Amino acid sequence: MAIARIARLSYWYPGAEQPALRDVSLLIDAGLTVVTGPSGGGKSTLLRVLNGLVPHFHGGRIAGAAEVEGHDVIRTPTRILARTVGFVFQDPELQTVYDAVDREVAFGLENIALPPREMNARVEEALHAAGIAHLAGRSVRTLSGGERQRVALASALAMRPRLVVLDEPTSQLDPEGASMVLDAVRNIVEQGRSAVIAEHRLERLLPHASASVIVEHGSTSTAWPVTPSLSAGITSRSRSGPLAWSLAGVSAGFGGRIVLDSIDAFGYEGEVVALSGPNGGGKTTLLRLIAGALSPMSGKVERRPGRIAYLPQNPTALLHRPTLRSEVSLTLERAGEPEPPEAILAELGLLEVAGRYPRDLSCGERQRAALAAVLPGRPDLVLLDEPTRGMDAAARTALVGLVSRLRDQGSAIVLATHDSELRSALADRVLHVSAGSVVESESHSVSA
Amino acid sequence: MAAWSAACLFIVLFTTNPAYKAMVLAAAIASLAAGAGLHRMRGLLLGVVLIAAFATLLNFISAHLGATVLFELPESIPAIGGPYTLEALAAGLSGGLTVAAAIVAAAPFSLMLASHDVMDALPAVLSRTGAAIAASLNLVPSVSASFVQVSEAQRLRGWRPRGPRSWAEVIVPVVLTSVEGSIQLAESMEARGFGSGPRTALKSSPLRKSDWLLVAASAAAVIAIVIARATGMSADWYPYPSLAAPSVDAVSLAACLFLLAPVVAWRSRA
Repeated sequence: MAIARIARLSYWYPGAEQPALRDVSLLIDAGLTVVTGPSGGGKSTLLRVLNGLVPHFHGGRIAGAAEVEGHDVIRTPTRILARTVGFVFQDPELQTVYDAVDREVAFGLENIALPPREMNARVEEALHAAGIAHLAGRSVRTLSGGERQRVALASALAMRPRLVVLDEPTSQLDPEGASMVLDAVRNIVEQGRSAVIAEHRLERLLPHASASVIVEHGSTSTAWPVTPSLSAGITSRSRSGPLAWSLAGVSAGFGGRIVLDSIDAFGYEGEVVALSGPNGGGKTTLLRLIAGALSPMSGKVERRPGRIAYLPQNPTALLHRPTLRSEVSLTLERAGEPEPPEAILAELGLLEVAGRYPRDLSCGERQRAALAAVLPGRPDLVLLDEPTRGMDAAARTALVGLVSRLRDQGSAIVLATHDSELRSALADRVLHVSAGSVVESESHSVSA
Repeated sequence: MAAWSAACLFIVLFTTNPAYKAMVLAAAIASLAAGAGLHRMRGLLLGVVLIAAFATLLNFISAHLGATVLFELPESIPAIGGPYTLEALAAGLSGGLTVAAAIVAAAPFSLMLASHDVMDALPAVLSRTGAAIAASLNLVPSVSASFVQVSEAQRLRGWRPRGPRSWAEVIVPVVLTSVEGSIQLAESMEARGFGSGPRTALKSSPLRKSDWLLVAASAAAVIAIVIARATGMSADWYPYPSLAAPSVDAVSLAACLFLLAPVVAWRSRA
């Protein structure tokens, strides 16, 4: 029997002329339903229909019908549907209310005024179901991203919902954190719950899925998705040029804590150096040293003069201009580069949205917009910090193409990434950064 | 804790006597050191010293009153010209003590309590407001991290701080990101049933013996200082026109000593 039923549903965000969902009809049955499709296609909007955030929280116009477990979504407020539908969002940091794990998991139960004597058992049950019983009593701030997202899942499960909806829950996580969350999702489905998940990392989920929905341009279809390969379409590597940057005997850290201890590293023009290693190992510190944003405690940092393009983690935070075109123009003007902004926008498939406010774009489009804002023209040194975090397949492919072109034009490139596919596709050398040291990976020697 | 903080604030604002203000400050520092530990207070104490010094200096520079002139600047110098007096310095010190004591008295809320502790202490009628406050407090660290990250990245993108308007390129993205974060958090709270109606709490925090001791000591301190003032035992102190040493009476002194109760109560808790 269907858990959710959507019939001829169309939805317009406030002030939008085009619908975000158009004439969608869908049945969601028990088990795991995977929702895929390009960024900006309407996945998040569709998921928000299931717990009434669309239209009750976001406003706008809606037509058609939607029903979850007998509740008319259009007439039932989200706070009531919260007892039937649990929801896990993308960013683990932006859905935490309390700073203690058990309190956080109990937040929903407190909201529905469950008697306190029943709460402890519910919290314990939810922590077990999400596989994080060992985290009870911990401070949320001390947890990794993957652990925090499992706390969010436990918080949803504590309400004993018939349906759990997850909107790209691993997009902000490293591979270890993502595995942790996806394992938990598989477990709750095996325990007999129903789940709907929008996700880019399909390979781990598809074997367990009972249905799939592709959302594109606001319309849905139920074809089985294909997982694209990152290496497709990569240009051949050029030989690297003269030394572009080097660190000799460099130590660096913060507040008296040494993060990198007496390290040596270097990179050439026309070369891609990838930094791998665990969270907190020092990858971002190394990038900031190379960029000159952080002064070393000792040792020497040298780089050839020229323009530096630096993509920080969460690069969408940089976007602030009225249009995407003006955002790119700003960087080009400052760099004194004659290239028109349309060149990089076309390369990243963003010409259609060049006149739009960048923060109104979908998550994946924003990621590409941030790349366009930072990387236009011909930067001499390109530093990328976890560039594929939160990216959909199209954005990752666009990134690979862009970085390959910059490398072939002679830019020295350093990218810190957990993404092993990206390293395989792009890296000439891999430096493993861990516990304060930097070691060149033997298995990934210079290919030039 | 709230009763003790309120008593400290009441006394430091109620009395004009800098000796009592200094005693309240000393009691607040001793209490906080017992509860939070000196190592966690270093940043706070440095900030308090700077703010108190600024308040003192401001009065010394701007109030050209009093009989004991230390030195003079020509009257023709705008704003700072005129006599600099011992009385103005003493009045400034008294003001600085007030500010310092008020800050240290309020500090236990941030140094010793988690957001859920504050929530648990609120009456049920304020529980929804408290949850909203607790949630917003959780966003504070991400705002400061966002500021560092955006300013660094914009600098590498060619931005340079040239006057107040140029800061828009850092401030605007940070504010927009914070607002988006707040909306996301509100959406998440709504999705978890926030606003459904009356709430319950996983844990409540009944007052313990040591809490009642603190409430009693705080009440005693306030009552004692009011009685001392009402009966004329505690005289007002005013530095102008000529400076006199503040007098100290036994009842007001006892009031200040009551404020040391957390040294016992919080040490046992820690």
